[in-house]
Amino acid sequence: MRHSNGNLILGAATIAFAILVIFIWIPLDTQTGLIEKVRRQVTIGDALAPTIAASFLAIGGLMLVLFERNADDQPKVSPQDVLFGLALIASIIISILVMRYAGPATVGLWNLLSGSEAEYRLLRDTAPWKYIGFLLGGTVMITMLVSLVEGRLRVKTLMIAFISVSVMAAIYDLPFDDLLLPPNGDV
Amino acid sequence: MGTLDYIWLGILAVFQGPELFSIFGLPISVTLVMILFGFLTGIAVGATPGLAGPIAMAIALPILISIFGYTPDALLPVMGFLIGVMKGATIGGAVPAILFNTPGTPDAYMTTLDGYPMTQKGQARKALRVAHFASASGDTFSDIVLIICAPFLALLVEAYLDFPEKTALLILSLSFIGAVIGGSPAKGVLSTGLGLLAVYIGTGEDFYPRMSMGSDQLNQGFPIATSVLGVLIIGAVFKEMTDLWHQRRSSGTRPSFQDEGNQRLSRAEIGRLLPFVGRSALIGTAIGALPGIGSTLAATLGYTVGRARHARTKAEGAPDFGDGAPEGIAATEAANSSVSGANLIPVLSLGIPGNAAAVFLILAAESIGGFNPGPSVFRFTQDVVNPELVIAFGLFTAMFIANALNWTIGGLFMRSTGIMVRIPKHILLPTVLLLTLTAIYVQEARIEAIWFALGFGALGYVMRLLAISPLPFVIAFILGGKLEESARQAFAATGGDAWFLFGSPISILFIAASVAIILFSARRKKQEL
Repeated sequence: MRHSNGNLILGAATIAFAILVIFIWIPLDTQTGLIEKVRRQVTIGDALAPTIAASFLAIGGLMLVLFERNADDQPKVSPQDVLFGLALIASIIISILVMRYAGPATVGLWNLLSGSEAEYRLLRDTAPWKYIGFLLGGTVMITMLVSLVEGRLRVKTLMIAFISVSVMAAIYDLPFDDLLLPPNGDV
Repeated sequence: MGTLDYIWLGILAVFQGPELFSIFGLPISVTLVMILFGFLTGIAVGATPGLAGPIAMAIALPILISIFGYTPDALLPVMGFLIGVMKGATIGGAVPAILFNTPGTPDAYMTTLDGYPMTQKGQARKALRVAHFASASGDTFSDIVLIICAPFLALLVEAYLDFPEKTALLILSLSFIGAVIGGSPAKGVLSTGLGLLAVYIGTGEDFYPRMSMGSDQLNQGFPIATSVLGVLIIGAVFKEMTDLWHQRRSSGTRPSFQDEGNQRLSRAEIGRLLPFVGRSALIGTAIGALPGIGSTLAATLGYTVGRARHARTKAEGAPDFGDGAPEGIAATEAANSSVSGANLIPVLSLGIPGNAAAVFLILAAESIGGFNPGPSVFRFTQDVVNPELVIAFGLFTAMFIANALNWTIGGLFMRSTGIMVRIPKHILLPTVLLLTLTAIYVQEARIEAIWFALGFGALGYVMRLLAISPLPFVIAFILGGKLEESARQAFAATGGDAWFLFGSPISILFIAASVAIILFSARRKKQEL
């Protein structure tokens, strides 16, 4: 797209970020400088490598501003794309939260109903408890993502999602004793 | 131990590895079976639009490592599977391109130009045979070049390059990759910078993990799987889903065409194809040997060169390129397939990955341990066996076995995968996403890994929206640690000389070439405007 200023904005933002990294982030958040003298021996400090990385960023930004600001293949980022991307990410975050807490919540509910004092942490390698989070969170994830693209929620999608996630759980869990399905490594 | 002894040990490592079963008393090693599985999987994923070799590799890697463990014995079965996927996906990509006008992989786009018109004329199976013949020929040629060149290049590097020169070579590679991948050198360099910055967070030699902002989550850095899979796979899934959301097109009914006439390839037809296959194989191999230049460019160049020749030499009445010329399919498929073998030249001889498939081979080697791709692999030690060299020759053997499978059963299996295009992409992509996240989790066993991967996925998505290629990011992430380590060693070896990069003619040449390639590509881009 001619006369677009996308590259100019991206270039300027990249240069600003590189300056921020070189002059603020690295000095404030790194223990040693570019070059250090330890017991009369000169060594490379921890700040040098990230400074070079930021220099690559600065060079890329400068090249965008100097050589490619009038490029005719500049992408036009539509707000719709950004919003859709955010919706995708939000759906995944919700699903992972479901995945993380569904198992412990079910055990809590079970305790409430039966009066037992079971702990999810101790049951995380025991069927059916270990599958609850993955099956529920995974089904929510696939259903939400497919529904976002289709623009509608269908029972068929839910069924397909549940079957896919069940197959996935079987692939990763059944043959291997040492693999833990999410979220069972954390709880 | 001579060179021939090492080659023989490599072959034996593949054929006499752990036995899976035996046929009539003949033991079949697990590596052989894994190469076959990988190859068939590769064809199937290549034939499925929306999937590609790297996705299958990403999902399979943690499963394979769980099966085979973290011992050197695992290297050949796991890497054999990945090599099989890499080769299978290349030929699989041509199937939907020819049958449905939908490239299975990006490098098969040019195949649609002549493949689909041939299908419309009732020549679908012949078109698939042309694609298979050209692809297998290009692939085999490329592997031969790899096996001849990689050891020599590695020996040259070991003989002439010390730490300062190796550091300069890494800088040259990163500059080259940044400048040539994608349509914009500036964005390539930017992507390289981001990759380097990401790998340096939370690492370093000081007690305090640098740039970790005091966070416990960042103080071990980002696990390599989260960044590579996040930017490369999750970002791609997000972008594909956005495109699908825009299209909102239902799969609908596809037009079907009846086969007409002889679908076999005659000797005369193969003879006519050979000059196109030969030229494209040379082009693809030359391009593949340079890190970062992908098979899509090779396919485009192969097609363009083939079209010029076809315009001069074609018989009267024969179709032009774009109207269903078998030579068009041959020129494209030979070029894109011959990239895969040659792409392993920089991986095995320098430790520098040139494409996504090579990234996963390095990831497998790093995860399992016992094999560090790079010039040190090719040490032909006399008194003790160098196990890495045996693995290297084992990998070469695996590539030839995959080629043999390609020539024998590849065509048959390829022609049966047309059905894969019917898998609905908008259901497949979220499934792939969950599989990828699960693959990351089973490797890392902590929920932060999923958040990191999601963050990198968002970065990969934004990069794609801004037309920034994610491949330089990934390659820089992989090479960043090596670059710093090599610079530290060079600095120490030269007694703290801050100008160590300018201490020898070779390193000066490499640094000058780095600057020149960035300036040259930037100026060329400006002149194009």
